[in-house]
Amino acid sequence: MTNDKLIQVKDLKKYYKGERIKALDGVTVDINRGDVMVVIGPSGSGKSTFLRSLNLLEVPTAGSIIFEGVDITQKKGPDGKKLDIDLHRQKMGMVFQHFNLFPHMTILQNMTLAPVQVKNVPQAEAEKKALELLERVGLKDRADAYPIQLSGGQKQRVAIVRALAMEPDVMLFDEPTSALDPEMVGEVLDVMRELAREGMTMVVVTHEMGFAREVGNRVLFMADGKLLEEGSPDAIFNHPQNPRLQDFLSKVL
Amino acid sequence: MLTVQGFQKALEYWKLFLQGVVCTVSLSALTVIFGFILALILAICRMGRSRILKAIATVYVELFRATPMVVQIFVIFYVVFDGVKVLPGFKLFGFIRFDRFFPAVVALSLNSGAYLSEIIRSGIQSIDIGQTEASRSLGLSSVKTMRFVILPQAIKNILPAIANEFVTIIKESAICYTIGVQDIMSAVNAVKGATYRMAEALIIATVLYFCLTYPTSKVIAHFERKMSAGDKR
Repeated sequence: MTNDKLIQVKDLKKYYKGERIKALDGVTVDINRGDVMVVIGPSGSGKSTFLRSLNLLEVPTAGSIIFEGVDITQKKGPDGKKLDIDLHRQKMGMVFQHFNLFPHMTILQNMTLAPVQVKNVPQAEAEKKALELLERVGLKDRADAYPIQLSGGQKQRVAIVRALAMEPDVMLFDEPTSALDPEMVGEVLDVMRELAREGMTMVVVTHEMGFAREVGNRVLFMADGKLLEEGSPDAIFNHPQNPRLQDFLSKVL
Repeated sequence: MLTVQGFQKALEYWKLFLQGVVCTVSLSALTVIFGFILALILAICRMGRSRILKAIATVYVELFRATPMVVQIFVIFYVVFDGVKVLPGFKLFGFIRFDRFFPAVVALSLNSGAYLSEIIRSGIQSIDIGQTEASRSLGLSSVKTMRFVILPQAIKNILPAIANEFVTIIKESAICYTIGVQDIMSAVNAVKGATYRMAEALIIATVLYFCLTYPTSKVIAHFERKMSAGDKR
């Protein structure tokens, strides 16, 4: 069973300004292979900080993150040498609220940069793979366009396949639809739904309760930097226990 | 008074002016290269984690920005290189005295490096942090992130400022005649010595400097257009 644990988060803490601001206040959770874990909670609850800690975009104050058997919060790896976070990050794809496509590169260049530079994939092979991925999200004909020529929904679909081009073991989504016009939310959620169906391990911070209910197999509710309730979508949405969760759901549903 | 004869006389020394142009161009080109490399290093030091490097780079930049160019060049030439004693006396292209030329390149590079580093720093800091995060999350190292993601965007944003600095270098290089570099200004001085007339030679120098600086800014403007491919809808 332990093999199924892709990421183990233990007592994760992130403090700012000494200990005055506790963005994360002791979060412990296991993420299993194949999980679609949806993190919900009011803004300022620490859910983005939690997600961004998983690939160390935020460096936690205390606690550990064991990814594929390696505690990536340590300075030294299991071999005793300096831990190379880049090695672990390439196995964790990340999708941001504001897409963060590279504006000076075409869509194809956006997608081939990391495979070629990090994994030494030959350019031609990386392009072939990129075009296949673009075809899957219906954007093959935009391969030579620049990000600014794309709509928000198209940009986010590109951002997803850009991360997928690295063949990650887990995909982290940080409010992927929050910056989109309402009519574009669907096309991005469709891609994510498809990804979940294929068995990709996903951690999704979102305000899309419909998506959480339908696609997620586990839902986490966070508030004040703490993990207050965890359960299946049915348990969380239909039988909430924690009063904070009940209050939150009454406001968003 | 400017006279036709004056110009004719001054132009008899066209070879001196030509040599001056060659000298000014090589001086500026080398300054641009070394200054840019130095600026990049300084900018990275100033933004890096090491407090010592940050302090050194900051002191350096502030020192060079707060003192006159002519003082810097005299200090480099008369103090650092101690006259002409330590440098070999051979001549570049058969006429540029290396023992004068080299300190001038050093002084101009050190000076423009300080200014350019501030331009580069502001350019890098103007790039959204999300770009770095996206690049790092894909597994690119901080060096590769800088090279492939941040610098191309930063340089595009600061090209007008860089162009301005390149033009400034060409103009500021005129001060190097004070330590005996045979640039365009020194040709003016030579003509003055030989003909007892300065006005026409100065007009010629003015035209020459303009012909150097104006195309420089135009060439960079061309690159600016080419690099902004990602801005068009």
